[in-house]
Amino acid sequence: MSNTKIKKLSDGINKSLFEFASYNDSAAKRAGYSNYSYWRSTVQVFAKNKMALFFLILMMVLLTFTFIQPYLPNQNSPTKIHIDENTNMQLRNSSPDSKFWFGTNSIGQDLWARIWSGTRISLMIGFLVGLWEAFIGIIIGALWGYVRKLDRIITEIYNVIDNIPTTIILVLLTYIMRPSIGTLIFAMCMTGWLGMARFVRNQIVIIRDREYNLASRCLGTPTNRIITKNLLPYLVSVIMLRMALAIPAAIGSEVFLTYIGLGLPVSIPSLGNLINEGRAVMMVPSLRYQLIFPAIVLSLITISFYVIGNVFADAADPRNHV
Amino acid sequence: MKKLMAFMMALVVLLAGCSNGSKKPVDGGTVEEGIAAVQEYSSVYSGEVTTLNYLTTASTNEFAIAANLVDTLIDYDKYGVVQPALATEWKISDDSLIWTFKLREGVKWVTHDGKEYAEVVAQDFVDAMKYIFDSRNDSLTANIAYSVIKNGEKFYNGEITDFEQVGVKAIDKYTLEYTLERPTPYFLSMLTYVCFFPVNGQFLAEVGDKFGTDNTNLLYNGAYIMETFEPQTRRILVANESYWDKDNIFIKKLNYTYNKEASTLAPELFLRGEIDYADIPSTVLDEWMKDPEKKEKVRPNRTSFYSYFYAFNFDPKFAAEYEPENWKAAVNNVNFRKSLFHALDRKAAMLTEEPYDSEKRISNTITPKNLVDLDGVDYTQLGSLAEFANTDSYNKNLALEFKEKALAELEGKATFPVKVLMPYNTSLTEWANRAQVIEQQLENLLGTDYIDIIIDPKPPTGFLKEVRRAGNYAFLECNWGPDYADPETYTDPFGPDGTYNWPHLAEGYKESNGKNKYENMVDEAKVEVIDIDKRYKLFAEAEAFFIDQAFVIPYAVGGGGYTASRLNPFESPYSPFGVSGERFKGQRIMEKPMNSEQFSQGLINWEKERAEALKAAGQ
Amino acid sequence: MFKYSFKRLLQSIGTLFIVITIVFLLMRLMPEEGYFGDGFEKLDEAQREAILANMGLRDPIHIQLKNFYKQIISGDLGTSIIYRPKVPVAEVLKTKVPYSVKFGLAAMAISLFCGISLGIIMALGKNKFWDKMGTGYIVFINAVPAAVYYLFLQLYVTDIFKLPILFNPSKPASWILPVVSMSLGSTASYAMWMRRYMVDELNKDYVKLARAKGLKNKSIMVKHVLRNAFVPMVQYLPSSLLYTIAGSIYIESLYSIPGMGGLLVDAIQRQDNPLVQSLVLIYSSIGIVGLFLGDILMASIDPRIKLEKKGGAR
Repeated sequence: MSNTKIKKLSDGINKSLFEFASYNDSAAKRAGYSNYSYWRSTVQVFAKNKMALFFLILMMVLLTFTFIQPYLPNQNSPTKIHIDENTNMQLRNSSPDSKFWFGTNSIGQDLWARIWSGTRISLMIGFLVGLWEAFIGIIIGALWGYVRKLDRIITEIYNVIDNIPTTIILVLLTYIMRPSIGTLIFAMCMTGWLGMARFVRNQIVIIRDREYNLASRCLGTPTNRIITKNLLPYLVSVIMLRMALAIPAAIGSEVFLTYIGLGLPVSIPSLGNLINEGRAVMMVPSLRYQLIFPAIVLSLITISFYVIGNVFADAADPRNHV
Repeated sequence: MKKLMAFMMALVVLLAGCSNGSKKPVDGGTVEEGIAAVQEYSSVYSGEVTTLNYLTTASTNEFAIAANLVDTLIDYDKYGVVQPALATEWKISDDSLIWTFKLREGVKWVTHDGKEYAEVVAQDFVDAMKYIFDSRNDSLTANIAYSVIKNGEKFYNGEITDFEQVGVKAIDKYTLEYTLERPTPYFLSMLTYVCFFPVNGQFLAEVGDKFGTDNTNLLYNGAYIMETFEPQTRRILVANESYWDKDNIFIKKLNYTYNKEASTLAPELFLRGEIDYADIPSTVLDEWMKDPEKKEKVRPNRTSFYSYFYAFNFDPKFAAEYEPENWKAAVNNVNFRKSLFHALDRKAAMLTEEPYDSEKRISNTITPKNLVDLDGVDYTQLGSLAEFANTDSYNKNLALEFKEKALAELEGKATFPVKVLMPYNTSLTEWANRAQVIEQQLENLLGTDYIDIIIDPKPPTGFLKEVRRAGNYAFLECNWGPDYADPETYTDPFGPDGTYNWPHLAEGYKESNGKNKYENMVDEAKVEVIDIDKRYKLFAEAEAFFIDQAFVIPYAVGGGGYTASRLNPFESPYSPFGVSGERFKGQRIMEKPMNSEQFSQGLINWEKERAEALKAAGQ
Repeated sequence: MFKYSFKRLLQSIGTLFIVITIVFLLMRLMPEEGYFGDGFEKLDEAQREAILANMGLRDPIHIQLKNFYKQIISGDLGTSIIYRPKVPVAEVLKTKVPYSVKFGLAAMAISLFCGISLGIIMALGKNKFWDKMGTGYIVFINAVPAAVYYLFLQLYVTDIFKLPILFNPSKPASWILPVVSMSLGSTASYAMWMRRYMVDELNKDYVKLARAKGLKNKSIMVKHVLRNAFVPMVQYLPSSLLYTIAGSIYIESLYSIPGMGGLLVDAIQRQDNPLVQSLVLIYSSIGIVGLFLGDILMASIDPRIKLEKKGGAR
């Protein structure tokens, strides 16, 4: 029945009803033109936030200083033990003064030098672990969330790794490899990406079945294209925030590991063991500087990352670009 | 219940009052007056007691508790003189092999709620030994007992299955007899160690594996009963009302509260009056000493009998990058060793642990002083050992002199600077700090063209096995605690079976029998078991030789540190080995804590009185 | 849904099996010295061998594994060997779990309430006073190491309000500070994520549409925005709830709370194998069940999320 109708309809169509349109270059450009650039807008929105700019500058200054500090004149070695000329013994717990800006610790080492050296080491740990976490975490998280065939196997791997206590791995690693920066980074990398992967996965599970993805799938768009073009940009803002937090989180977990006795030895200063050493003298008001100085440096780094990350996440959300 | 409490309180007050009145001018110096009205002791602890089974444990935390719950055959008084306890008298056979003890009659085992269970009889000591020598029971102190008890080791290893053949017997209800493997002059001193504690066999059979897992699965015959045992929460000990010597128990209740951060929090808790005892860590000690009010509340501690020394490794097995062969050549040169021996500034090293009064911890001998004596003359003052005991090994000029000699002698044999691999255990912050201090101090004094000290952080996991026992070091801080009160115990690490620094491999000391001189000297002393005078002198000569040839550098004794405490340390029983020193017997809580001056004065008095007491006891 | 749940739970048993086997083997790689603590030095070889044999560590590894599986299947957690020798693990845990759970639940209730309210207030008044205050708080909590501010709180707050320093089960006042300290961190993180998701939702077109339709602000909030903003949060709730059993290592050690915090770390460092294995088993079960419940809860709130395998997936 319907067939006859269509036949009838097609009968009425003939070529004379159509003509070729000519291609108008300028009109096409005008229709597709927009002066919108994602990254420029992001930067613009970001720059509007004065506090974020302040922290960005602060962080850059801090980072630069941390790295050039050993090359500045009159800097002490972080492990050199200073001797008190009067007693010929170690210059123990000397309060901050003009010679030792942050004072000395319990065996006469310059706290100023130790803090910057510790910051260097902790930042290095934070960056490496944070980057690794973001890189591996996003890749695995995206695959895990989107490709259902992989869901089961990755969930399995995740569950297994997530449930093996990091402490066992760390104890064994330090036993096999001796306590060092490399061991610590390696151990933290082994388990650090799990949180990020699960986070990305959950985000993707939430949006993977939305209509526009369904449409893409119907059109036969390849998986990697869907992930990179459809899903990840949508998540840029939250992932950014997460990444900005990953670095201070890595530093924080170094502090925790030192607390449970699995951190770096005190002959390699880091923010973790400086804070832990400071905690021991916390009850003594006159020595509290040994805790407060490293805690302030650590806090500044964390705050900077946090604020920058948050504002950048807001700025990276295209809906905030209007 | 209330009535009982009131009664006990009254008793406490009465007792405190009595002792206050009658004992005024005697021992302990000036603090005698001012005994607190309430004799209840509180403290916080971070080292948990995992078990109350005193027959298996070897940890100080655990036997310190057991010492107050269960009594031993003999005990020590506050001067370290042997006193009868569960045994009232004892005698030794002519061949020095059989020791017979007459037990005190009427001593009772009670349960955790104070109910009488049985009488303490000779069989209890036999049952305890049978338990310890059963390898299924995992006793960590079995080896100490079977090193002296006849056939103990064979029974432990299953070579003998008949316990009758083991050298411990109940002759009758109150007569106990130990038969020893060989004459052992220090046997009596071993009897206060946990492996010679008694246990009631019937009770042990009743509770089986649960023995000592909590306070209900234990019997008490000592000064206190454990009323509450909540691991990682608290434990409460109350005075045992049926204790045979309860007149000498003044503190009626001991409260221990668990806190993992005890070392950080205890000083503050002490200031707020919540506890009676707090160790003051070296990190906060400065503050306490500077504050006039706090200064009055803190005093030093006595040192212990743990001996610390720096060992030169004669059997280096470390990685090739640290040049073990070069080290071997250097360490076999006595002048090289002596240059380090005299260069090590032990006081600088000690400051990492003991910023005040660091000399008291520094020891010039392997055997700490006060271990044993000959009629009041301390062992370390015998023969040529006295010279070493009384001189500080640190001497810049000598160090440089020996350095020149070593440089000349080692020319062509070793390359300079000699790499000195010095590992340390990362779990101890003080040790890590000390390693850095020593590295700089030695390198500054001797020059980096002479030695290159490489400090090597090692994890606490498997430290001994991976580092010391494996010979994976060149120069290492080591320690050793005594197993009995005799200088022999401090020669154990250095024998050919030792796992410390293998001095029998040192070159240039061979004697005709193929052994090194030191080993022969020790062997000669060991076989002398009858003439104690000669025995001690022989050991002293051997030790003097060992130090003179710089096989090790004596460094320190354990203990020490500073404490805020309302206990009088000079009232506590004193012994170099065993559990006596952990007992609260004879101790009282003072109104005010002792300060440093009172302590030093007390210590001087105590040492004087002790020498007299020992002399009197020797006769 | 039921079939899916059943399948996933079956899978979980497999996961648990793999996890505890790996942990079991890892613990066997630890140095033998560790089983003796400080006592190692004073023992002789025969004793060490006897003790290791009694711990079952001298059996071939497959025998050890077989015994372990048998014991677990029969519902027995084994007996502690070092932490509390010869005491059944179940008994060790029995006294500790209630403390941690009570503290954890109290802290969670407080932080959920405070955190979510704060997050909502902040999102609604974006860039206004409360938003800035809240951000300040969140930044502070994230920036200062917990180990440091916990200590300061304990030191000063107890002094000012005359609260007891140490926890004492019989003093109700001694509950306050640990619970409050414990909730500070999670309050900040709930507030942070709540604010972020809320802001994300508020920017969406449907909100504008709803407004344009003339819906009341309140009903937009409650019916749409809140509900959608909750979805990503909800995922983590079951896990957090179950994990209260694990306790907090810092808080419990500072205030002498006899809970589970730090027990696992302790057990690992002291190489109490049966205790480690039991704890891993318990925590893994919790982790897996938590993840699963989180998925279910998320799917039940947001009907767009599908967990089961259907056509269209690849």
